[in-house]
Amino acid sequence: MIKTWELDPNFKEEIMKERGGEHLTACFQCSTCTIGCPITEYVPSYNPRKIIQMSLLGMRKEVLSNPDLWVCLICQTCTARCPQDVRISDLLSAIRRIADKEAEAGNIKIDSSRPIFDKAFQHQLEKYGRLYDIGLAKEYYPKREGSFFKGMMAMMNDYKDFGMRMFKKGKMGPKAMFPEKVKDRAVMKKIFEEMGEK
Amino acid sequence: MSVTKLAYYPGCPSDATAIDQDMSTKAVFEKLGVELVEVEDWNCCGAAEVEEPELVYALNARNLAIAEKEGLDIVTPCSICYYNLERSNIALKADDKLRAKVKGIDSSLDYNGKIKAKHVLDVFVNDIGLEELSSKMSKKLNLKVAPYYGCYIGRPPETAFDDPDDPDSMDKLIELMGGEIVPFSQMKTFCCGGPLMMTRSDIAFEMARKILDTAKSAGADCIALACPLCGMMLDGKQADIEKALHVEIDMPVVYITQLLGLALGIDAKELGLNKNAVDTKEILGKVV
Repeated sequence: MIKTWELDPNFKEEIMKERGGEHLTACFQCSTCTIGCPITEYVPSYNPRKIIQMSLLGMRKEVLSNPDLWVCLICQTCTARCPQDVRISDLLSAIRRIADKEAEAGNIKIDSSRPIFDKAFQHQLEKYGRLYDIGLAKEYYPKREGSFFKGMMAMMNDYKDFGMRMFKKGKMGPKAMFPEKVKDRAVMKKIFEEMGEK
Repeated sequence: MSVTKLAYYPGCPSDATAIDQDMSTKAVFEKLGVELVEVEDWNCCGAAEVEEPELVYALNARNLAIAEKEGLDIVTPCSICYYNLERSNIALKADDKLRAKVKGIDSSLDYNGKIKAKHVLDVFVNDIGLEELSSKMSKKLNLKVAPYYGCYIGRPPETAFDDPDDPDSMDKLIELMGGEIVPFSQMKTFCCGGPLMMTRSDIAFEMARKILDTAKSAGADCIALACPLCGMMLDGKQADIEKALHVEIDMPVVYITQLLGLALGIDAKELGLNKNAVDTKEILGKVV
């Protein structure tokens, strides 16, 4: 049920101000995005057409707290097929960024570990300029599991076989224990300060 | 042949989980007489985890600016790096204000829009060309191959260099090497699940399994691909998928650069073919 008195008429402008969200109102609800989306087979509730419709109606809270936002693969199938050039993949990214800011401000709760993962990933780039897998895992797993010990257990569970396999093939040696760093790390810091999440 | 020198952007997994892709890319270009100059002190492209577009543009402006100083186009073997480099390139070229904003962060991000970013597959098929490649091949691959393209070769439209639904650049290359393409069109551009590996591995495993199963039932000797994340999912994680989903797959997965290297007569070890997680010995026996 839609409670009209709870709708936010400014929500669509809020989305359209974000990079990637500009084409929101071009959607004519044909559902091509949803029919072709590979995720719908695994998450039947996933429906980008509906997310767009709810956004246009101003159902801000429902859209931003929808956990389905975080199972998008960014595979661009919807974007490639959309007859109205809505740029759905970029549009959903714009909505996720608004959702993330709202969650950071304590206004909504996001039922997905993806924001934790994305942030842990970005922290590696900010610090080293390149991805440091171990640093990423050491930040991500404990935060996801809510404690250092549980996090380490979950990490072991995911990685013990994989790590050994990569080690045997010479793909993960002692060198992988330490981060690869760019020399100009000061510029990485500046980039994140200027362009990163505020 | 017009290409003689390119800036090389290896991407983060190049010295670890995708070292085989890095080795084979370098070996193949050397054999083809194309000099690769590594982008000096390159930084990560932002992968799929940096969602803020301006942050992606700034990160890649630095890489593009370094290559631009050398006067070279950038080539990368990773589909995600390619997508981020080229979409940043397009955005920066089109928008003077954005370029000024990025340059304002640091003078090392001063990029003037004079180069292009390219995927290795695009360079092989469209810049070097099949005729030139064919003239340098010394071996025939008696292999049935499932060509897997993944997401960023045919999508999104502004950076794509092949068809979104039925790409064929890799097909043409494989056939040129003597390989046979198995029926695989349904899975060619189906996402490997990689972006959800760390947060929804249940979905990611099912997606990867679907691709592997399809290749297997089509009778493929191997899957060929052109992205280290796809490689990680389909090859690196294959044993984990088998264990988690109680299935047996045993499908060799190789990079297109490894196959091309074999056709060019390069030694298998030099192409890192002893480093793929699923054993590749059976494939090597079919190269004559």
